[in-house]
Amino acid sequence: MSPGLPLLLFQVGARVFAAPAADVRRIGGSLVERPEEAVPDTALGRPWDARRGLVVDGGDGAERTVLVDGVLGLRAAEGDELVELPAFARDVISTRALAGFARIDEVPTLVVDLPALVRERRDGEAAPDREETNRHG
Amino acid sequence: MAEGKTKRRAPPRRRRGEAATEADVVARVLRAHADGDYAARVDVGAIRDPVLAGLAAVVNVAAEQARVRQDEVAARMEAVRLGVDEAIDAMVRLVVQGDLTGSLRLAVTDAALTPLIAGVGQVMETLKRFVTEIREAAIQLSASSAEVLAAATQNENSTAQQATAVHETTATMEELKGASHQIAENAQTVATIAAETLAATQQGEQAIRAFMESMEKVRHNAVEVDEAIGKLSRRVERIGTVVEVIDEIADRSDLLALNAALEGAKAGEAGRGFSIVAQEMRRLAENVMESTREIKNLIGEIREATHAAKEASDGNKRMAADGERLGGAAMSSVMGILAGAQGTSDAARVIHLATQQQRSATEQVVQSMGEIESVTREAQAGSRQATGAAAELARLAERLAAMVQRFRVE
Repeated sequence: MSPGLPLLLFQVGARVFAAPAADVRRIGGSLVERPEEAVPDTALGRPWDARRGLVVDGGDGAERTVLVDGVLGLRAAEGDELVELPAFARDVISTRALAGFARIDEVPTLVVDLPALVRERRDGEAAPDREETNRHG
Repeated sequence: MAEGKTKRRAPPRRRRGEAATEADVVARVLRAHADGDYAARVDVGAIRDPVLAGLAAVVNVAAEQARVRQDEVAARMEAVRLGVDEAIDAMVRLVVQGDLTGSLRLAVTDAALTPLIAGVGQVMETLKRFVTEIREAAIQLSASSAEVLAAATQNENSTAQQATAVHETTATMEELKGASHQIAENAQTVATIAAETLAATQQGEQAIRAFMESMEKVRHNAVEVDEAIGKLSRRVERIGTVVEVIDEIADRSDLLALNAALEGAKAGEAGRGFSIVAQEMRRLAENVMESTREIKNLIGEIREATHAAKEASDGNKRMAADGERLGGAAMSSVMGILAGAQGTSDAARVIHLATQQQRSATEQVVQSMGEIESVTREAQAGSRQATGAAAELARLAERLAAMVQRFRVE
């Protein structure tokens, strides 16, 4: 993660995450033209309302829409606000889609690699364990 | 004046004055005779006047004859007196001794006493007859007086019983009069209460009619309120629909703003202005969504309020219907009560009049009983007097019988 990275803040359930804005092609509504493109359930958890969808590259030439509860906005993270994920955390966390932390308004916020998250989901590498995710979050 | 015997002498020659004096002498003797003194005499020899002397002689003779006659009369009177006294004594003795069986015997016999003796005999016979009749009458009187006394005593007892009965009846009538007074007063009170009840029932009927009219108005108003609520609900739904559209537009605007901001962020410095515009647009969209949320909240509150109003209106309609139904039932009951109250009032009025008449009649009866009791007391007093008189009569009869018992007629 480089300083000045524009991050898109979004909410899944009660938790707020961040993702590089460049990874998001567009932001859509909850209705998806093709249901097979929707990703309602990820390692981040299952959204409550799924009012928004983050359209990302699915990795197979198709777009995928990660359903989230809401998009909170865009923030440009400065250098000291971005923290790489520690090695031991990378080892213990089941998903590989976490890029690090961003300190947003003094609150540590996970930075998610959405395309990787979509690929994981597609490949079935990480089963969404909400309890474990909540514990690490 | 010379007294005692007279002797004729030749009259002396007298003068005129002497004639007057001799006349006076004769007059004085005549006056003495007039006074009843026939012993007075004129001294004929002392009178010279021959006429006076002759007169004096005649006077003396008359006086002598009168004296003799007087003596004879006196003697006869004495004899008669003695005979009468004897007769009286004999009659008294006969009456005292009660022996009427014999006849009168007098020691003095005088022809003048014959009528007396005859009369006395008749008196004795008459007395004997009277005694006999009185004795018989006394016996009858005694028997009759005993019967009268018995009858008077029985009459007195009966009168006393009658007086007691009348007194008890009078007392009872007095109590009845008091009860009649109380009944009349109670009847008056009942009539008054019945009239008041009737008036109150009529007022109640009017009140129920007014209540039913109010319920009708309430029901009508509830229907109008229901219609107004329906209109309001439909308008609120339309508002909700519009707000949904606005919300959708705001959401799309927000989404558009987000995408614009995303592209601006991706463009870096070149998209900075675009990001700012997108940010403002997003703010506007958020404001709109905030407003639509508020409107939705208001719409929700209005829906709740209209729902509550609808329920209240439905409740009012149900209550109005119940009220009308209950009012109808109450009206039926009140009409029945009214009819009963009318009948009760009429009956109470009739009873009141009847009790008034009864009280008047009772008072008249009490007054009459008082008069009867007074008359009874007088009759009782009369009976006592009659009994007393009968007892006195019986005693008198006994006394009479005892009195005549001592007379012997045979």
